[in-house]
Amino acid sequence: MALSGMRGLSVFISDIRNCQNKEQERLRVDKELGNIRTRFKNEKGLTPYEKKKYVWKMLYIYMLGYDVDFGHMEAVSLISAPKYPEKQVGYIVTACLLNENHDFLRLAINTVRNDIIGRNETFQCLALTMVGNIGGREFAESLAPDVQKLLISSSCRPLVRKKAALCLLRLYRKNPDVVNVDGWADRMAQLLDERDLGVLTSSMSLLVALVSNHHETYWSCLPKCVKILERLARNQDVPQEYTYYGIPSPWLQVKTMRALQYFPVIEDPNTRRSLFEVLQRILMGTDVVKNVNKNNASHAVLFEALSLVMHLDAEKEMMSQCVALLGKFIAVREPNIRYLGLENMTRMLMVTDVQDIIKRHQAQIITSLKDPDISIRRRALDLLYGMCDVSNAKDIVEELLQYLSTSDFTMREELSLKAAILAEKFAPDLSWYVDVILQLIDKAGDFVSDDIWFRVVQFVTNNEDLQPYAAVKAREYLDKPAIHETMVKVSAYLLGEYSHLLARRPGCSPKDIFSIIHEKLPTVSTSTIPILLSTYAKILMHTQPPDLELQNQIWAIFQKYESCIDAEIQQRAVEYFALSRKGPALADILAEMPKFPERQSALIKKAEDIETDTAEQSAIKLRAQQQPSNALVVTDQRPPNGTPPPVGSLSLVKVPSMSGNSDYNVVDQGVNQTNGTLSKTDSQPPSADLLGDLLGPLAIEGPPGAVHSEQTAVSGVEGVPSAADAAAIVPLEEQTNSVQPIGNIAERFHALCLKDSGVLYEDPHIQIGVKAEWRAHQGRLVLFLGNKNTSPLVSVHALILSPSHLKMELALVPDTIPPRAQVQCPLEVTNLRPSRDIAVLDFSYTFGTSVVNNKLRLPAVMNKLLQPIQLTAEEFFPQWRSLSGPPLKLQEVVRGVRPLPLMEMANLFNSFRVMVLPGLDPNPNNLVASTTFYSESTRAMLCLVRVETDPADRTQLRMTVASGDPTLTFELKEFIKEQLVNIPGASRGPAAPAPAPPKGPAIPPDDPAALLAGLL
Amino acid sequence: MIKAVMVMNTQGKPRLAKFYDYQPVEKQQELIRSVFTVLSSRAENVSNFMEAESIFGPDSRLVYKHYATLYFVFVFDSSENELAMLDLIQVFVETLDKCFKNVCELDIVFNYSKMQTVLDEIIFGGQVLETSSTEVMKAVEEISKLEAASNAITLVPAKYASGWNRR
Repeated sequence: MALSGMRGLSVFISDIRNCQNKEQERLRVDKELGNIRTRFKNEKGLTPYEKKKYVWKMLYIYMLGYDVDFGHMEAVSLISAPKYPEKQVGYIVTACLLNENHDFLRLAINTVRNDIIGRNETFQCLALTMVGNIGGREFAESLAPDVQKLLISSSCRPLVRKKAALCLLRLYRKNPDVVNVDGWADRMAQLLDERDLGVLTSSMSLLVALVSNHHETYWSCLPKCVKILERLARNQDVPQEYTYYGIPSPWLQVKTMRALQYFPVIEDPNTRRSLFEVLQRILMGTDVVKNVNKNNASHAVLFEALSLVMHLDAEKEMMSQCVALLGKFIAVREPNIRYLGLENMTRMLMVTDVQDIIKRHQAQIITSLKDPDISIRRRALDLLYGMCDVSNAKDIVEELLQYLSTSDFTMREELSLKAAILAEKFAPDLSWYVDVILQLIDKAGDFVSDDIWFRVVQFVTNNEDLQPYAAVKAREYLDKPAIHETMVKVSAYLLGEYSHLLARRPGCSPKDIFSIIHEKLPTVSTSTIPILLSTYAKILMHTQPPDLELQNQIWAIFQKYESCIDAEIQQRAVEYFALSRKGPALADILAEMPKFPERQSALIKKAEDIETDTAEQSAIKLRAQQQPSNALVVTDQRPPNGTPPPVGSLSLVKVPSMSGNSDYNVVDQGVNQTNGTLSKTDSQPPSADLLGDLLGPLAIEGPPGAVHSEQTAVSGVEGVPSAADAAAIVPLEEQTNSVQPIGNIAERFHALCLKDSGVLYEDPHIQIGVKAEWRAHQGRLVLFLGNKNTSPLVSVHALILSPSHLKMELALVPDTIPPRAQVQCPLEVTNLRPSRDIAVLDFSYTFGTSVVNNKLRLPAVMNKLLQPIQLTAEEFFPQWRSLSGPPLKLQEVVRGVRPLPLMEMANLFNSFRVMVLPGLDPNPNNLVASTTFYSESTRAMLCLVRVETDPADRTQLRMTVASGDPTLTFELKEFIKEQLVNIPGASRGPAAPAPAPPKGPAIPPDDPAALLAGLL
Repeated sequence: MIKAVMVMNTQGKPRLAKFYDYQPVEKQQELIRSVFTVLSSRAENVSNFMEAESIFGPDSRLVYKHYATLYFVFVFDSSENELAMLDLIQVFVETLDKCFKNVCELDIVFNYSKMQTVLDEIIFGGQVLETSSTEVMKAVEEISKLEAASNAITLVPAKYASGWNRR
């Protein structure tokens, strides 16, 4: 056993290893940290060796999971030490303990630069490694040119140059401007002529990053990549040390093929031909061998080649060859290859015309569902889900159902959801669909979410032919000895509605139905009892002529629950009892449920939210486009029975004691309420969305007035579940939340437009913070959802309503936020083209019984896509002159400007990243400014602005905006105008709804922001 | 990009943890624990892939290799090739093997700093820096020589040296 050469460190590690438990370990660590801290205080007394020893101890402690919150300054200052050992320690500890935003780092920039430009190669390596691991924006700006020099220098050793390549890649990620796109492309191409494979591998990584953003600039690199690939595939001039298990640098082969996938097409026929030759060689020449490592390496190359072939959209022949290969892979013994075979087949689904070839492997894929490895089972499930269509739905769904009984618990929910969706989307007939869902509930009731059974009820309600069949099935399941509660719910519901259609069958008389359902009542929870009560009321209504015995039995139950502690049950019991004493009038009130309006399946929506695998997700989307949902639903918007309910009276909600008078009210409300009450099965609805699905008819049937009055009345009564209705049916402007926001939403938004992190929204239950990072035309916003309560927030939903110019992808938002917890949801933004429209976050959650819904503007605004740029007069004026007149250059006299001193106006411009260039315009009353705008369509585009003010009248000015893109010029001009004219706080932007003025207690806006900063 | 490299033993004790996008120390420990929980439930002779998105967020992949008492884990995003990452674990382990002559867990425990140095010569800022273990060894030996030169100086008894400095 070799030792580190640091005795003290070894002793410390032994001590830690000898600790019997975590507590002892903590004591030992605390003691050591105390010791180190004291030693650091008299820093002069430490030899380089000691410093090194202590720092390694600190790192070891840090790895064990203890925070090391001191010694940072000491570490950074060691970087400037003249000797290697201290410098090394300084760099290593800085890179491990500090992050790129740490203030101390800034202090070190100059020293780091001196090491990079100095002649000492070991120092260069240390400095490059540190910058490459934690260098931030400031490092990018001050070090990039020096790092570039090292990379292209002919005198540097490969050891330094390969580090320089990756260091530059890091700096480029921090600030894309540091690689001058025009000049750099040629250098990059030259770098690809490199013979040293180490430098070439690093350079290839750099190229991959560059072409992923600007492929058109790097055309000249394309043929060189193909050459490199040829060199490797033919094993020409590949040194022994870069041959890995007989394969010439598989990493470089893979990276090169990755780079090629960023070029949209390969036009040059010669290059294309050579590339296909190489690819063909790889596809044909790879076999599964015994040595695991060789296998991995050769298949790494092979799978990358497959991706490249898919990307190049090769001829059908080559594609079928690929599918055939994949078909072979999913059956081999080697599990890694089976795994990747399935994954790549799923990707392959996106390529047209190969689905049929993939279907030939269906049996093998189904076998993979039983693989011992859960990773492989998941891939098989994804693939089956992706390849399912009308032709094979029956087989696949039945396989999934069968697998459900034996599958792992961790997969059951996903499995049942997927089975339900496939059944719905591709059902050859609807009775099969009902069968599938009922089987699903029977086999995996715990994993069948409410969405699934709501959906089957909706289908049955909307399709008359299906009703007797569904009722028979429900009746059959009730005969089983132990059934899941969800099955009780769905059967009771279906039989309440449709059991009269079966009345002549044996065992299906109202009495039989009642008693078999009633048997289940003692076993169910309070959320199911209301459904059973509704079923009893319906059975009673359908029993014609009335059966006195049954009636008394049911009345007794109603009376029993009239004093139930659960408000929902009590209310229903009271109402149904009163209603059922009305005799024939009952029939009008408790008539069959009206049809539901067709809407997007909540299930499919949910599935799209759950999907996180990108390849898979696009497969779903693709399917969604190809296959219109074959839901056979007719929308009937007319209320099928009764007259619209009278406006106003809401005595029902308060559940008064039943006396003669209020009885009358109750009956009048009946038509409206049956539907509503029956749907509100859970006292805590699982999600507003879902409720919306079942509450649909209510929203449409009632005349607008009725809906409104109900909703206003409802929000007056605190804690009534119907608040959910309001959220589901009320249009944007009229949303009435019973929970008031803290602070001014509009002010928070405007503050966030100018900075990158802060609070977007806050109310007594939740705080939503935003942290944004923008890089060229892309941004990454992280939403921090913090639950301020000691109980969970449920039914959390977040939906991004993005304007067409922004491509936004929100990561999965969990349905529930645990008490006092904060969840982070990244949101990826890509700006496609210039526009001032604003994205909106539609956010809702349920706390207790109140549903809170808010539409919040997101600070993904135009100025975030600007990058200030400093131009000299020599650079500015030629550009200004070359952009002559509309539509590239637009001029406008703006009136009604908020009067501002020139200095403040300059600050305002700078604050939204349009950089004022002082002294460029000879007239001191004018401002000249420049900025770069980023979008996918315009790339980086220079924008020039000139503002001429009138010292006599500060409320008007003449503004000229110029850029190389007409839309950009117009949008930027309008944007600046808004900034000049608007008073902060006023709403703007066409897509943005006007937020309600805050009614809650106003808290200074920077206060919660500080709080959030602490949280972050 | 490679997001993290972890080495832990079969009891879940971390032996190396390097995160290429900054994570606070509590989060690091939480991630290590979550990974270990899943890893320890996996059988032998299954694939080297593990579902990682529930732990590391969208666009994360994970490959691991199990050697005797140690798990080597790489977490990365879709810009990397899974099998190439698996090969890189192999290069890392082969290099450690050359360093320590038949590496075992104890070597790694007591030579934490050396393992860190080796890793830094293979992965740089989340990118593959060097794939030839011969080249990595050359770089590591060079560093060791420099370190040894500096250690020699400290053979002057530390007591005297520090005593001098204090005055």
